[in-house]
Amino acid sequence: MRRVLPHILLAAFGLLMVWPFLWMLSTACKDYASASTPSLSLWPGMFHWQNLPDTFRAAPFGRYFFNSFLVAGTVSLSVVLTSLMAGYAFARLRFPGRGVLFALVLGSMMVPFEAIFVPNFVLISRLGWYDSYAALIVPWCANAFSIFLMRQAFLALPADFYDAARIDGCGHLRFLFRIGAPLVRPMVITVALFAFLGSYNSLLWPLVVTADGSMRVVQVGLTAFNTDAGVRINLLMCASAIVILPTVVLYFAAQRYFVESALGAGIKA
Amino acid sequence: MTRMAETFAALPDRLLALLDSLLDRFPRRMGDIPAAVLLTAPALLVLGAFSFTPMVNALTLSLRGGKHGDGAFIGLGNYLDALRSGEFWQSLTVTIYYVLGTIPAMLAFSFLIALVLHRISRARGFFRTLYFLPYVTSVVAAAMVWRSLFNPRGGVFNLLMAWVGVAPQQWLLEPRGMLHLLTGGAVNASIGPSMALCCVMLFDIWHGCGFMIVVFLAGLSSIPREVEESARIDGAGGLRTLWHITLPLLSPTIFFLGVVGVVRAFQAFNSFYALTQGGGNTQDTRNLILYIYSQFYDYGYWGYATAASTMLTLAIVALTALQWRFVGRRVHYS
Amino acid sequence: MTRFRLWMMLAALSAACCLAGCGGSPKSGPTQGPSFRPLDTTSAVFWDRQITEIGALLHRLADEFNAAHPGLPIKVEYAGDYPDVFRKVSASIQAGVLPAMTVSYENMTAEYIPTGAALDLDLLIKDPKTGLTQAELDDYFPAALQPNRYADFGGKMYSFPLSKSILMLYYNRRVLAKAGLTAPPATWDEFLDQCRKIKAATGKPAHAISVDCSTFDAMVFSRGGDVIRGHETLFDSPQALAVLDFYATLTREGLAYRITPGTYQDNEALGKDEIAFTFRTSASRTDIMLLMQNDKTRWGMARIPQLDPAHPATVLYGPNVTIFNTTEEQKAAAWAFVKWFTSPEITARWAVGTGYLPVRKSALDSPEMKKLFDEWECNRAAFDCLDFARGEPNITGWQQVRDLVVRTLSEVLAGTREPAEAGRLLKQGADEVLARAGRG
Repeated sequence: MRRVLPHILLAAFGLLMVWPFLWMLSTACKDYASASTPSLSLWPGMFHWQNLPDTFRAAPFGRYFFNSFLVAGTVSLSVVLTSLMAGYAFARLRFPGRGVLFALVLGSMMVPFEAIFVPNFVLISRLGWYDSYAALIVPWCANAFSIFLMRQAFLALPADFYDAARIDGCGHLRFLFRIGAPLVRPMVITVALFAFLGSYNSLLWPLVVTADGSMRVVQVGLTAFNTDAGVRINLLMCASAIVILPTVVLYFAAQRYFVESALGAGIKA
Repeated sequence: MTRMAETFAALPDRLLALLDSLLDRFPRRMGDIPAAVLLTAPALLVLGAFSFTPMVNALTLSLRGGKHGDGAFIGLGNYLDALRSGEFWQSLTVTIYYVLGTIPAMLAFSFLIALVLHRISRARGFFRTLYFLPYVTSVVAAAMVWRSLFNPRGGVFNLLMAWVGVAPQQWLLEPRGMLHLLTGGAVNASIGPSMALCCVMLFDIWHGCGFMIVVFLAGLSSIPREVEESARIDGAGGLRTLWHITLPLLSPTIFFLGVVGVVRAFQAFNSFYALTQGGGNTQDTRNLILYIYSQFYDYGYWGYATAASTMLTLAIVALTALQWRFVGRRVHYS
Repeated sequence: MTRFRLWMMLAALSAACCLAGCGGSPKSGPTQGPSFRPLDTTSAVFWDRQITEIGALLHRLADEFNAAHPGLPIKVEYAGDYPDVFRKVSASIQAGVLPAMTVSYENMTAEYIPTGAALDLDLLIKDPKTGLTQAELDDYFPAALQPNRYADFGGKMYSFPLSKSILMLYYNRRVLAKAGLTAPPATWDEFLDQCRKIKAATGKPAHAISVDCSTFDAMVFSRGGDVIRGHETLFDSPQALAVLDFYATLTREGLAYRITPGTYQDNEALGKDEIAFTFRTSASRTDIMLLMQNDKTRWGMARIPQLDPAHPATVLYGPNVTIFNTTEEQKAAAWAFVKWFTSPEITARWAVGTGYLPVRKSALDSPEMKKLFDEWECNRAAFDCLDFARGEPNITGWQQVRDLVVRTLSEVLAGTREPAEAGRLLKQGADEVLARAGRG
């Protein structure tokens, strides 16, 4: 009993956690009539595959996915690069103003994004980036939290590594990318995953800086779908499911590398 | 062919070497400065352009009256207006309810789950994934699902209520206080968080606890097994070990999650926005960010809104500093 | 880094914030010249909010226009729902880059005018070559044109009617029949009476409420009242209080329930024979027909109940178009499109395809419209309201007042505020909002 009790507890709460997903999938499988009939059962009782083509016909989700992947992928890569470099510098290099700069970086975490939204929009427009991939990507290419995490990862490496490499005459850049980066790989994956999720799941910024349908990302497409007159709950759930799916797949793929210790390193200040 | 591939593969290395040799050309007395400039420049450029500059712009904006930042310089007028406005304080109250209602509950729940997860060996990865799942999904998509669940007419929550024999509830549409409803009307309806706000909190606890669980697991796995085992050998019971050994050793984790959680909770926007259709027009689910947002984007009072957001930012900074000062000191570092 | 040092830095940061604030660096906003840069130089961008079939029709019409007209092509871009459009335009004005034109409600346009972004359309209308003749101008419904003249801004025409709609009562005949009713209510008393009968017969609420300021305004109008006089609101007038009372009665007696904002649960419930009544714009006609599976015997639409059916009144709404102060080329293309779109033939096609109303009187005589009217007697209902429908206030600050109204209605519906007190507080709050907007 004592051995299965934790599993029972975890399963019970786990069911609560995934229950909305199961409900979503179940509703996505139904036709409109049974989807709008109240029911507690999670088993759809039917598989109305027509929902899938219907959803894709209602909005060009193919194009939305292309945009979202392109944007989130580029953001993710850039964030890894900028935070690797800055994190290393803040952890291992000695230079005047290091403390103040780092505090400033951390401080930017505390400014609500909504408060600096319009000044950013004005900047994007003046740069002529309105309705372009640049507007969706560039402002998100660095973020304080990733820099912080990466710095913690480099701090956690034993100092001997650095000293040995320096004695061998290895420059900072070679060390960072050839020796340092592989050593902090769990953190790299973590930062990449979080950056991807953050970009893929963002809504307000893409809504404001893009106009053309060909530049729309999936979250914007989903809200457009939502405001649709006389909304079809089954199609809505189908759309939600296909929007959620890539992040779930990505997480499953990344979790092999995404070990807890990566985040654990972030805590020891 | 192979030579070409080799050359190509060596290209990054050669580039790095080249950059390093360039850095070496700087006088030795400059130390790490050239490298630091090179390495921090990309991040600082982006942050400078899209975080710091707008921050300063927002600050100067907050000293101007009128709409869209084109009014006259009025000093601290906007700040005083905000402090005198009932709606400002009302939305701050909502924010505070939200912070108090989510962070402790999330910490406790996540800690419990992480503790159990840490003990088991079979199916651990499976369960961890299960609990982390909500965190990776988009708030927009998840909120759509939850809005359907909360639907007062035929929504799943009301079906569950009927199943256990409780009257159907209005959930996200219920502006009356949770305490009022729970006590059968003994408490005034305007006291405490509304039921709608509690629904938003529930959603965010669901959505955000995966992150905390994973961080807690990280913290737990960094505690050497021998420490707990030796305590147990010394005759300490499970709860005593937890209280005297595990919790103190985990205090940096708890502290970290507390600080990050509070900062994020003060800035909560997406869930409010997506669940209540733009924050709703009822005051009970309009937190400070939504209030600022509507003053800014819907009504065009840029100066006023940036004044309010500046005060919010200062409050967050001050609160974090306080946490650091008074709680952070007691945190046990191994 | 030690915790203490980090703490010190946070303190330094907050000090830096304060200093930056007191330093007062130069104003960040762009200097606003008389004209704005166009969003796209190769086409005249039209920011719109239509999606689904209606959006598809608009795109088709734009293509048709582009094929037949020289000059810049029109490019229709989806810009989110109305609040999104408003935010986007507001931000774009600050950025100095604007589309050629945008859909816009009067209260939204009223916010664009002071920035110099909205173009005075009288200049275009009066142009002898490309403008409109007096005869053409007289063909537009006065109720559609009139709200586009802004009294606060010299009575100039800063927007133009694009497609209008009217608040309608949609009813479900099957549910009415359950209570032995055959006709929809003509007065508000009849409405309450029928709701009670239906509740008695079915045990369920008869009406689903979508809380909305325009619906509230229409109800006040239909009781012979108004919502504003000059810059003072009339929310404590007997008519306004009667509407609040009406809502309080509906919830108190369990005759109606509130739907989730932003959804169309009322339309769906109507389609599933769960409720008898809902109030929606005439543009919902095509959606409800879909939900009713094209069964015209199941439902109908009628004008909203009135206090005195002999002197009816209701709200005319639906988007206008605002043309922006960009280049001559852009303005010309935008105006050519607006003129074409509101021509009798196109406005009739638009009305038939969407459920919106045409903006021209002569459109009612077009073959398409006649065919629509012949198909079903209810198709006429909205058009019959055109004579007595009128627009909502077009003053600065009204956007915020609308939100206050929605909040007040929510409070009354939740039973947390008595109608009389709610009306008084609403008036007080709304007047403060308008005073503040006037100061700005």
